[in-house]
Amino acid sequence: QNRTVTGTVTAKDDGLPIPGATVKIKGTDIGVATDASGKFSLSAPDNAVLTISFVAYTPQEVSVAGKSVVNVTLTQNYQQLSEVVVTSQGIARERRSLGYSAPTISGDVLVQGGNASALTSLTGRIPGANITSTSNTPGSSTRIVFRGGTSVAGNNQALIVVDGVPVDNSSVTGGADSRSSVDFGNRANDIDPDDIESITPLLGPGAAALYGSRAANGAIQIVTKSGKKGKTTVSFNTSNVFSSILRLPEFQNEYGQGYINEFDANGVPDYGTDTQENWSWGRPFDGKPQAWGQAIDVGSGTPVKRIKNWEAQKNNVRDFFVGGFATDNNVNFSGGNDKSTFFMALNTLNSDGVYPGNQDVYNKYGVRFNGKTDFSDKFTAGISFNYNKISSRQVAGGQNDNSVFDMVLQTPRDIPLPQLKDLTNPYNAFGFTDYKGVVQANKYGYYGSYTLNPYFVLDKFSNDDELNRITGNVNLEYKPTTWLNVTDRLGIDTYSERRRVITPKYSFTPVDAVSNGSTQVSNGGYEIDQYGVTELNNDFMVTAKHSFSSDFKGSLLVGNNIRQRNTYTLIAQTNASAGLVVPNWYNLANSNGPVATGDSWTVRRIVGLYADLNLSYKNFLFLEATGRNDWSSTLPKANNSFFYPSVNTSFAFSELIGTNSILSSGKVRASWAQVGNDTDPYRLLTTFAKGTVTSNFGSTLFPFGNVAALQAGATIGNPNLKPEITTAMEIGTDLSFFDSRFGINFTYYEADSKNQILSVPIPNSTGYGAAIVNAGRVKNHGVELALTGTVVRSSNINVELFATYTQNRNIVMDLPDGVDQITIGGFGGMGIVAAKNRLNGQFYGITNQTDAQGRTIVSATTGIPLKTTVAQYLGSYNPKYQGSFGGSITFKRKLNVNFLFDTKQGGKMYSRTKDILAFVGVSKETGGVRYGQPFPNSVYISGGNTVVNTGANAVNYSKQDYFSALAPGQNIIDASYVKLRSAGISYTFAKSDFKSLPFNSVSVGVFGNNLFMWTPKSNAYIDPEINSGGATNEQGLDFTAQPSVRNYGFNVRVTF
Amino acid sequence: CKKFLDVNTNPNSPDSAAPNLLLPASQAATGQIMGNFFQINGNIWAQYWTQNPTSSQYRTVDQYNPAATASDRAWNILYRGALVNADLITKSNDAGIAYTRGIAHLMKAYTLQVTTDAFGDVPVKEALQSELFRNPHYDAQSVVYDSVFYNIDRGLALMNASASASPGAQDLVFSGSVANWKAFANTLRLKAGLRLAYIDAVKAKAQVQAAYTAAAVTTGGVTTYSFLTVDASIKYLSTGGNENPLYNEMVGLNRVQNIVASTTAVAQFDANSDPRVAKFYDLLPVDATAKTDRSIAQGTYAAGANNGKTVSPPSPLVGGRASNSASATAPVKFISAAESWFLQAEAVARNWAPAGQVLATLYTNGVRASFTSVGLTAGDADTYLGVAGNVTQFVTPLTIGTEEDKIKSIITQKYFAMCGFQGFEAWTEWRRTGYPTFFVKSAASVIGGVRMPLRMLYPATESTTNTNYPGLKVIYAPVWWDTKHPLL
Repeated sequence: QNRTVTGTVTAKDDGLPIPGATVKIKGTDIGVATDASGKFSLSAPDNAVLTISFVAYTPQEVSVAGKSVVNVTLTQNYQQLSEVVVTSQGIARERRSLGYSAPTISGDVLVQGGNASALTSLTGRIPGANITSTSNTPGSSTRIVFRGGTSVAGNNQALIVVDGVPVDNSSVTGGADSRSSVDFGNRANDIDPDDIESITPLLGPGAAALYGSRAANGAIQIVTKSGKKGKTTVSFNTSNVFSSILRLPEFQNEYGQGYINEFDANGVPDYGTDTQENWSWGRPFDGKPQAWGQAIDVGSGTPVKRIKNWEAQKNNVRDFFVGGFATDNNVNFSGGNDKSTFFMALNTLNSDGVYPGNQDVYNKYGVRFNGKTDFSDKFTAGISFNYNKISSRQVAGGQNDNSVFDMVLQTPRDIPLPQLKDLTNPYNAFGFTDYKGVVQANKYGYYGSYTLNPYFVLDKFSNDDELNRITGNVNLEYKPTTWLNVTDRLGIDTYSERRRVITPKYSFTPVDAVSNGSTQVSNGGYEIDQYGVTELNNDFMVTAKHSFSSDFKGSLLVGNNIRQRNTYTLIAQTNASAGLVVPNWYNLANSNGPVATGDSWTVRRIVGLYADLNLSYKNFLFLEATGRNDWSSTLPKANNSFFYPSVNTSFAFSELIGTNSILSSGKVRASWAQVGNDTDPYRLLTTFAKGTVTSNFGSTLFPFGNVAALQAGATIGNPNLKPEITTAMEIGTDLSFFDSRFGINFTYYEADSKNQILSVPIPNSTGYGAAIVNAGRVKNHGVELALTGTVVRSSNINVELFATYTQNRNIVMDLPDGVDQITIGGFGGMGIVAAKNRLNGQFYGITNQTDAQGRTIVSATTGIPLKTTVAQYLGSYNPKYQGSFGGSITFKRKLNVNFLFDTKQGGKMYSRTKDILAFVGVSKETGGVRYGQPFPNSVYISGGNTVVNTGANAVNYSKQDYFSALAPGQNIIDASYVKLRSAGISYTFAKSDFKSLPFNSVSVGVFGNNLFMWTPKSNAYIDPEINSGGATNEQGLDFTAQPSVRNYGFNVRVTF
Repeated sequence: CKKFLDVNTNPNSPDSAAPNLLLPASQAATGQIMGNFFQINGNIWAQYWTQNPTSSQYRTVDQYNPAATASDRAWNILYRGALVNADLITKSNDAGIAYTRGIAHLMKAYTLQVTTDAFGDVPVKEALQSELFRNPHYDAQSVVYDSVFYNIDRGLALMNASASASPGAQDLVFSGSVANWKAFANTLRLKAGLRLAYIDAVKAKAQVQAAYTAAAVTTGGVTTYSFLTVDASIKYLSTGGNENPLYNEMVGLNRVQNIVASTTAVAQFDANSDPRVAKFYDLLPVDATAKTDRSIAQGTYAAGANNGKTVSPPSPLVGGRASNSASATAPVKFISAAESWFLQAEAVARNWAPAGQVLATLYTNGVRASFTSVGLTAGDADTYLGVAGNVTQFVTPLTIGTEEDKIKSIITQKYFAMCGFQGFEAWTEWRRTGYPTFFVKSAASVIGGVRMPLRMLYPATESTTNTNYPGLKVIYAPVWWDTKHPLL
C-alpha cells in the first residue's frame, strides 16, 4: 500500500535546507533528490524506512509508519567512515573497509580556483602526490606522480581512469628536443573540470591492483557527473579568466648595450659600442641622448639612426607581454525519471595567452553525454560519451630562432622592446622599402645581429595542433539474483592529432654594413606530425555476495580484462638540410630535396584475469585479497604470463569500542601488494633502420641519389625479457575527533621496484648504442599526512581548514652491471640522471671548483672561478617535502571564501633562463661593480698554497668574462617555493532572492589561481614549476621554458 | 588467446638487411667522418684552415682544446655507422656476394686505420660483438694495424673471387669496379705499411713489398703495378641530405663561414707561385698585390688586427664555401690519385719498391694528378715544377738528396696536393714524418709549451659506458707510430 510522503531535509549546523540530498526507500533503488528548498516527495509503502543521505553528512534512517510528513535533520560529518569511495575497477565501497589511503576530492573543489586543468587543481589536495604544472595556461602540461614513482627511466605518472575505463595520458612534446620544446600539453587535461563529479586517487599499487600493470604508479579515478532522477535541470557556468606573467627575472638597470673590449694599463675599460649587440656589458647609463640600432636610409637627410636616452628600460620585458584572456563556458542538462537518468554537457574554452598577437591560442570544444537506464529490475545499461576538439597554436621555447622568449631575454637593457613591434618600420624590419622607394627585400634594419626581432618571430613562425578525441564506454549490468551481479564495461579512447610546424625561409643582411653585423639566414621548413592512439578496454566481471552469518559477510569478484592499444605516428617534413625552395609557401611540395618521413605503427595487447575477495566481520574488521594474472603481447612467449597478488586489511576500532565525545571514528589499515609490468612493443629483436648518418649539424640521408640503404639499428633487443615487479606496503590510520570536527589521516609506505626493463647505454664500440635489459631497482619510502578541522561550526559561519604534508625518498638502489647511471634527460652540458645510491632525478654537470670550506677556487691569473674537471652530482629535482594549507569559510551558506597555499621544498632545477641572462649581462647578478673586485668568498692556489682572495692578495675578476661563460652547475637553482595556489570568493543567492526569475540557483564568484609565489632569494629568475620537458620524466629543466601565468577572473553559475 | 597476443612483430623496422643495402650506409658513414669531423679538425691542424675571426664554431679546434664530448659523434659514426655495418656484411652468409663482402673488408680496413690514426689504441678484437662483449677492451695500435692488414688480405682475396655479382651502384665509391677496388686494396696496403716506417721498419717494408707483389701485372714481359690512378672518393650531390658533409654542416649552421685560409699554407703556395692556391681557396681580395691580406696566421681569430676582417674562405671545390651551393658537390676523397703516386714515390725513395720504378716520374705524376684534379693542366704542373725555387726545393733533392731529403720533398708536395681535401691525412703524415717543416703553433693554443695536437680525445660516451675504458689520453700524447713529430 503506497502513499505519498513529503518532507524537508535540513542541516543541523545552520538549519538551512539541503538541496540535492538523496531520499531512498531502504532496500530498494527507489528514491528521489531534494529540490532547491530541500523538499522531497515520494510514494512509499506504509512500513517503509527512508534512508536520507548527502555528501559529507551522516545518513539517517527514518520510518514513515504513520507519518505523511517526514522532516529530517542531517549532521555534517567530514569524510566519515561510512562514506562511499570509488575503488579500483569502479567498485564502490565504504571508506571504513579500505586497507589503503584513498582521499576523495569533489568536483566543486576542482572548479574553485578556475583552473582549466582538473589535474592542476588537485595540487595541494592529495598528500603523496607530486603535481607539477608547467606554464599554468590552458592546454599546458601537468604531471602527477604518486609516492615518487617506481621507475628509473619509464613513465612514472599515475594511470588516469575515467568512469572505470583507463584513458590515454600521452604527452608528446613538440620540437626536436627540450632545447626547442613546444608544450602541447598532456591528454589527461582534455577533460573539462565542470564535467567531473569527483576524483579519487589510488596512491599505491595495492589500491590499484585490479587495474593491472599500468597502475604500478597508482591511479587517478575520475567520475563524471550523472543525471539525477527527478526534474530536469539546466546549468550554465561561465568562467572568464585574465592572466599575466607570474614571475619575470630580476634585471640589472645600470649598464647598456655593448661590451668591454679590454682594460688599459690603469684598469680602465675600453667599451665596444656595437649597436647591433645583444650583450648588455657596455657603458654605465648616463641618461644622455644616444643613437641606437642600425643606420637606415643613409643619404636621405633624415636622421639615419634612432636617438634615445642612454638609460635602462626597466619594464621592457614585462611590457612586451600582454594580458591573456580565457573564457570557459559550460552548459549542461541533467535529469531523469524512475528508469533513466542522463547528463549532457557542452563546453567551450577559448584562450589567448600572454604573447602579443594570436600565436598562443587554445580552443577546446567538448560534448559529453552520460546516460543510464534500467530495462528491468535485473538489467541496467549505461553509456558515456565524450568528444573533444582542440585547436591550438603554441609558441616554442628553448634556444632556437623560433624561441620568442629567448629573443626577448637577450634584449639589451636600454632597448625599448615594445618600440620594435611595428614590423613595417624599417628600423625593426626584415625586408623593407627604403626612402627612394627601392625594395630592400633582403636587408634587415632590426638592431640586433645575434637575435631576431621577437615580434618577427611571432609573426613568421608557428606551431599548430589539431586534435579530435572520443572517449566513452558502454556498461551493461545484469543481476540474475540478489547475490549475483554480472557486469561488462567496454571503453574506448581514440584520438588523432595533427601538428604543423612552420619555419620561414629568409636571408637578410644588415642594412648598416659599418657594423660587424651578421647575416640572418634560414632555409625554412614545414613539418606535419600526425599521432593517433586508440585504446580499447573490456572488463567482464562477476560478483557474488554472501552472508555467512549476520556478522560475517563476503563477496567475490572474478573478472577478465582485454586491452588493446594501437598507435601510429606519421611525420613528414621538408628536406631537413635544404628546407624550402621558395619562401612563404608552406607545403611538402615545396621541399628542397627529398621529403623526410617517419612512419611508425604499434599494437599492444594484454589479457588479464583477476579476482577480488572481500570479507568483513561485523562493521569493524575487513580483509581484501586480490590476484591478477596478465598475459602480455610485448614480452617473450616464455615470460609473457605473470601473476601478482595483493592483500589489505582495515580495522575500524571505533566501531568496536564505540564512539565517545573525543573520538568520533577511527581505523587502522595495512596493505601489501605486488604489481607486474610488461614493456613497450617491439623490444625483443634487434632491427635495422633506414640509412642515415647523423652528424652534429647536417646529416647524410638516404636515398643517396637513388641508392637506398639500411643500417644496423641503435638498440639491441632482448628476447629474454621478464616482467618488472613492484612490491609495496603501506600502513596508516584515519581518525576523527570531537564530533568529527577534526580529522587525521596518516600513511607510511614503502615500494621496491625490481627487474626494471631499461634501455641502457652501452659503448658505441659494440656497434650499438643501447641494450634492453632487465635490471635496476628503485626504492621509495615516505609519509603522507592530512589534517582537517572545522574550526568554527555555527548556523552563521562555518570555517574549515585543512593541511597536508608529504615526504618521499626516491632512491636508485641498483643499475645494470657496470652502469653507474642512466641519463634520463638534459643535454650536453647538464644531464639529468638516475645514479646508483642517489636520489632519482639527479642533475649532473660541470660546476665551479670549491675547497673543503666551501670557498670558490679561482684562477690565480684571471680571478675567475675554475671549473671542475669532471661532472658533479648537483641534487635532485624531487622535492624533499611538500605541504599545503587551505581553508573554506562559509557565511550563512551563501558567501564562501576559500584559499589554498602549497609548497615544495628542497628540490633543484636547471635554469637556462639564468644562463642566457648571465651571458648577455642583463640579470641582476651581473650588475653592480663589474670589474676590479675579487670573486666573493674565493681562494686561489699559488705555489701550492691556498691564498684567500681578499685585500692586498686579491686577484680581481671581470664579471663579463665570468658570467658570459658560466659552468652549467652554476645554473642549478633551488626549486623551492610557496604559492598561493588558489583563492576565491563566491556568493550563492537563495531562491528567495529571485522568486520572480526562472532560476533554481545562482552563484557568482571571483577567483584566482597561481596567484602569488615566494621563492628563495637565490631564485630571482623563474617560477620553479616551469619545465621544458612537459609532463615527461625530464623534469626540473628550464631550457628557456615558457613563463608561467597567474590567472584571475569571475564566474557565474546558474541553474534553471 | 595465443594468436591474439602474437602481435609483437615490428612493422616499422626490418629484422634483417641485405648486405648490398648495408654497404652504402657503411661507406656514407666513413664519408661523413672524412668529410666532416676529420675534415675540419684535420684541415685546421694541418694548418690549411683556421677559425674565421667573425665567427666562433671551431675556436676550440684552433685552441687545441676540444670539449670532452667533441669526439662523441665521430666515434658513434665510426663504430655504429661505418664499422658495424661493414662487419655485418663481412659476416653475411648470403651466396654470390663475394665482391660486396670484399669491399666491406676493405672499407673496414680503411676505417679502422683512420680510427686508430685518430685515437691510438681502440677496441678491435672485442669490438662489434655485442652479444659477447658489452664492454670491449682497447687494443694496442699495433694490433689494430694487424687487423687493417688482415682485412686488406681478406678483401683482396674476395675481390679475386671469380663468381660474384657486382654491387653496382650500391657501391658509392667505385660503382662495383673490381679493378678499382683491387687497386684500392694495394694502395691502402702501401699507405698502411708506410705509416709504420719509423716504428717497425721490418713490418712496414714487408707490407709495402706485399702490396707490390699483389699489384704486379705482367703483360708481354712488361710488369706494371696496379695502384690507384683515380680518386677513391664519394661524389656528393646537390640534393638536400646528399651534400658534401662539410657543406651540409655549414647549412646546418645557417651558412656561417667558420673556416678561412691559414697563412701557414697560403704563404707557401704564394711563395712557390703555385696556381692551385686559387683553386683551393676563394681568394679575397683577388688582387695578387694584397697577398698578405688573403689569410690570417693560424689561430689569430682573436687578434685585434683581425677584428671584423674578411679572410679568404676555402673554395666550393673542396666543399668549404658556406655561401656557395656549389660546395654541395665537392667529393670526399678516401685516397686520392695524387696520394697514390706519392706513396709509390716514398716506397721507391726507401728502396722498398721493385726495380724499374722511377722516383722522378712517380713524383711528377703525383703533382700532375693534383693539378688536373683541381682543373689545371699537366702542363701547368710542369711549369710549376720548373720554377727555379721549386726545382731547388723539391726536384733536386729527389736525385741528389739523402733518403730523408727525398721523403721531405715527397711529403711536402703531398701536403700541397691534399689541401682542403685530405686535411686529416696531411696532419697524420706530419705527425709521422715531421713534414712539412713550416707548421707553427696556433696562436690560440691553450695547451702550452711546445705541445701540438697529436691525437683526438677519446669520446666521453666511452668513459661513461665502457667499464674497460682505458682513461683519457691528452691531446698532445703521440700515438704508437708517431716518433718523429717536431716540437714547436
